[in-house]
Amino acid sequence: MRLLSMTFFLLMLAAGAAAQQGDGIFPFDYQVVELENGFKAYFIKAGAPGQIAYVSMVRTGSRDEVEPGKSGFAHFFEHMMFRGTEKYPSYDAVTAGMGAARNAFTSNDMTVYYEVVASEYLEQIMDLESDRFMNLKYSEPDFRTEAGAVLGEYQQSATTPFGFLYEKVRETAFDRHTYRHTTIGYEADVRDMPNGYDYSLSFHRRFYRPENVVLVVAGDFDFGTAEALVQQYYGGWETGYVAPEVPSEPQQKAPRQRTVQYRGRTLPVLTVNYKGPAWSATDKMALATEVLGAVAFGSNSDLYRKLVLEQRRVQFLNGDFGLARDPALLEIATMVIDPRDVAAVQGEIEATVTRFQQEPVDAQLLADTKSNMKYDFLMGLETAQNVAFSMISYVINTGGIDAVNDYYRTLDQVTPEDVRAAARQYLVNTSKTVVTMVQAGGE
Amino acid sequence: MKRLMALFVGLTVLTGCEQVPEGTVSLREPDSPFIAFNVWVKTGSQNDPAGKEGLAALTANLLSDGSTTEDSYDQILAKLYPMATGYGYNVDKEMTVFRGRVHLDNLEGYYTLFSNSILKPAFDEEDFERVKTQTLNYLERSRRYSRDEELGKELLFWMAYRGTPYEHPEEGYVESVRSIMLDDIRQFYADHYVSNNIVIGLGGGFDATLLSRVRADFDALPAGEITPVPAPEPRMPNGVEVLIVEKPTDASAISFGFPTELVRGHDDFWPMVAMNSWFGEHRESFSHLYQVIRETRGMNYGDYSYIEAYPRGYTTQVPPTNVARRSHLFEIWIRPISLTAPGNLHDRTLFATRAAWRELKLLVDNGMTEETLGETQQFLKNYVLNWGATGSRRLGYAMDDQFYGLGSNGYLASIRPGIEALTLDQVNAAIKRHLQYDNMYLVFITADAEAMKQKLLSGAATRITYTGEKPAELLAEDQEVAAFPIPVSEDKITIIGIDEVFERGM
Repeated sequence: MRLLSMTFFLLMLAAGAAAQQGDGIFPFDYQVVELENGFKAYFIKAGAPGQIAYVSMVRTGSRDEVEPGKSGFAHFFEHMMFRGTEKYPSYDAVTAGMGAARNAFTSNDMTVYYEVVASEYLEQIMDLESDRFMNLKYSEPDFRTEAGAVLGEYQQSATTPFGFLYEKVRETAFDRHTYRHTTIGYEADVRDMPNGYDYSLSFHRRFYRPENVVLVVAGDFDFGTAEALVQQYYGGWETGYVAPEVPSEPQQKAPRQRTVQYRGRTLPVLTVNYKGPAWSATDKMALATEVLGAVAFGSNSDLYRKLVLEQRRVQFLNGDFGLARDPALLEIATMVIDPRDVAAVQGEIEATVTRFQQEPVDAQLLADTKSNMKYDFLMGLETAQNVAFSMISYVINTGGIDAVNDYYRTLDQVTPEDVRAAARQYLVNTSKTVVTMVQAGGE
Repeated sequence: MKRLMALFVGLTVLTGCEQVPEGTVSLREPDSPFIAFNVWVKTGSQNDPAGKEGLAALTANLLSDGSTTEDSYDQILAKLYPMATGYGYNVDKEMTVFRGRVHLDNLEGYYTLFSNSILKPAFDEEDFERVKTQTLNYLERSRRYSRDEELGKELLFWMAYRGTPYEHPEEGYVESVRSIMLDDIRQFYADHYVSNNIVIGLGGGFDATLLSRVRADFDALPAGEITPVPAPEPRMPNGVEVLIVEKPTDASAISFGFPTELVRGHDDFWPMVAMNSWFGEHRESFSHLYQVIRETRGMNYGDYSYIEAYPRGYTTQVPPTNVARRSHLFEIWIRPISLTAPGNLHDRTLFATRAAWRELKLLVDNGMTEETLGETQQFLKNYVLNWGATGSRRLGYAMDDQFYGLGSNGYLASIRPGIEALTLDQVNAAIKRHLQYDNMYLVFITADAEAMKQKLLSGAATRITYTGEKPAELLAEDQEVAAFPIPVSEDKITIIGIDEVFERGM
C-alpha cells in the first residue's frame, strides 16, 4: 500500500565535502566567514534539502539593561526590529512573500532573530536581514504603538504564577547585577516604554553592530555563494559596539529568605537558589555544576524519587543549573502539596545539598547524566532551525560555535570528585536565597 | 571517521511502495538517526462515562506516567534517563495517542519501556494517587489562574458543544475527576485498549521489520467491541450568546466563534485554509486580524482565527497533530487586552472584539480579492513546509490522515497543490457557505463582569485612545469599529465566577 504520494520531496544527499572539524560530538560540517568589521557568519551543512534556517544572534539581552527604568528594553527593541527600513518598509510583507517562518526572542544574554526559508531565498533574506540590522527605521508613533503590544505580552506572561515568582526571586537574590530583573522587565518600566523613542535609537546604535552579532545558517546552501553574499551584504556594516558596564554582583554574605503572595490560586512553590559560576565550555567546575543540578535534583535523583514518587509531598521538583554569561542563579524549585510541609521540604533540599558536599556522586549516575546530556543535544538536531538553535549558547557565551566540541569533551572529564567540589564551592549557605510563593489569603 | 548527519525536510516522506501491515502507518526515512512512535487508541474524552468526565485522560496519564508490571515508575525514569528521552500522551475528544521519540542508538531499550507502558500497566495505587492529585491541582488552580486566554478557548468549545459528547474539557471537571477510582481506570482500559482499536505509527530510521514486530506485540491485547459514539451535532448559536467569567484581573481574554461543517477532505477545505491563513494565520504577522488589532493599533500581542481545533496555541507556532475531530468551530482568538493606553478596560475589550467581528463581516460580505488570495498562496507555498518539519510531526499528520480517511491523499502531500489550484471564486463561495457573522458564541474573562454585561447591553460605542498620534483615516475607521453592533439580549448573557468554572458539568 502506498500511504503517501510523493509530490516534491527531494531525496536528501550526504553532507558536502567540506573539511570536517575533528572528532567532536557535533555531527555536521561547518565553515565560518569572518569579516574585517568583526562580523562572523557560520554555515552548517545540515542537509534539510531546499531549506535554510537563518539565525542572527545578538549578544545583548536584558543583562545589558544597565540604566535605571529601562528593564525590558532589549525585548521591546526586538519588537521594533520588525518595523521596517527605508529600503524595505514592510519586513512582514517581504518575509510573508517568501513563506518564511520567522520570529525572535530575547532572554538574559541574547536577542535572537530567525527565519526558516527555502534555500532559493538566501540572497534575499541576507539582503533583508543585513538591511534591518544596519538601517532600521521607524517613527515615534509606530514605536508607541508597539509598546502597547509589549504591555500585552507582559500581561499574559508576567502575571502567571511563575512569571510573578521569578521576578521576586531575582530581585531578592541580586543587589546590583542586571540579572536582578527579568527579561520582560518591571511593569512600571514596560508602561513607560512609549516614552523611550530616543533611547531606542541609541540602543540600536550601540548594540546592533557587527562585533556583537553572529549569524548562523544551517541547512542546504552553496558555501561559495554564501561567503560572497556575506561580504556583499555585511561588509559595509560599521563597527561601533559599546559594551555596557554591567555591574558586578557583590559577594552575598548571608542567606536570604522571603515569602511572596500570589493573588490567584496556587499551591506553595518553594525555590532555593544559589549563585553559580559563569558559563564555560572548558572549565570543569562549570560543567560539574551543571551535572550537579541533574544528579541532585533532576528526575533521576534520589530526592525526586523520595518527594515526588514515594512520599508524594510535592507536585514537581526541578534543578535548573543552566549557566549564563555572568554568574547567575542555580535554581531548585518545587511545588509543595501541603502548605504546612514547606519548611520540611526546604530541609530535605538542604540535606541533599549537604549530602552532595560530603559524598561523591555515584559513578553510574554520573555516567548516565553525561549520556543524558549528550543525547539531549543529539536528539535536538532534527531540523535546520534546531541545528542552528543548538548553537545559541556557544555563540552567546563565546562569540562562535567552535566551543561545542570542547563543551562535551570537558563534560567527559568530570569526575565524582569534581561534582562534590562544585557542591562545596557553589551550594554555600551564605549565597543562598529562598523565596516561597504562597496564595494570598491562604488556601 | 565520524558519521555525518543530514536532515530531512518537507511535506511528505519516503514511504515509497513498502507493504505495511493492517493497522499500521509507516513513514520510514532510512537515513534518519531518530525513530518516532505514535500509538493511536481510537478513544477520547467523548468516550468518558457520564459523571466520570476526564477518565480517558486520566487513564492515558496513568499509563504514561506510571509503573508497569516489569518496572516500577522510578525504574522506568532511571532507564530512560541516559537516553535523554521519555514518552507522553495526548487525549483529545476522539483520539488518544502515545508518542515517543528516541535516538537509533537506544532503540531496543526504549521500545521495551514504551510498549510496556501501554501493554503492561501495573495500575499501581500510589501512581494513581500521584497523577490524580496532579490533575486536580491543574483543574482547581492552574486552569483557572494561569492562562485566561486558554481557558477562554476551552469555554468557547464548552458553549458550542453543550449537550454533545464533545461538551466537557478533556481533563474533565473537578468533581468528576475526584470521583474517578482506580477500578474505573482498569475498566476503561479493558474496554478501550483492545487490539482492534489501536493503530501503530512509526517514523524515521527504523528497520523495516520493526513495524510488524510492534504490530504483533500490540495484537497480543485482546480484541473487543467498541460502541461507536455518534458524531456531535453542535447547535448553532441563536443570535449572540455570551458567557462572562468574573475574575480579578487587569486584562480581558476574548474568544468567539461558531460550529462549521468543515473537516479535512471536504471540498471546501483548502479554500477555507487559504481564507483562514489570510484572515488569521496562527501567531503570524501575516494574519489580517493581527495587522488590524496589534500592528496598527498596538492593542495586544496577537489576533488569530481557526477552522480546526488548536489547543494550547500559546505554546506552539505550528498546528497541533492528533486533535482530529468530526466537528470543528470557526474561532477567533484575541490575545489579552489590557489598558495599554488611558481609558476603560471594558471599552478596549469590546473595541477589540468589535474590530475582529467587523473584519469578519467585511470578509463574509466582500470576500477575498485576487491580490489577497495571491499573497496567501505565495505565503503558504513555503510556510507550510514548517508544519511537517520533524519526523514526529509528519507521523502525527499521517495518523490524522487515517482518522479523516484521506488515504493516499494525505494532508501534507495535498496542501501545496490544493492551495496552488485555488481560484478566487472557489474561495469566496466557500466563505459564503461556511462563515457568517450574525450568530456567535462569545466568551470574556474579565473583572467586574456585571459592568461588562451592562456595557454590552447598552450598545454604547466603546472608543479607545492611543499613546501616540494616529492618522485621520484610522481614527475615522475607529468610529465605525467603536459603534459596530453586537446585538444581544439580557437572557443570553451568563455570568459565572472563576471558581465555578468547570467545577462540574455546567
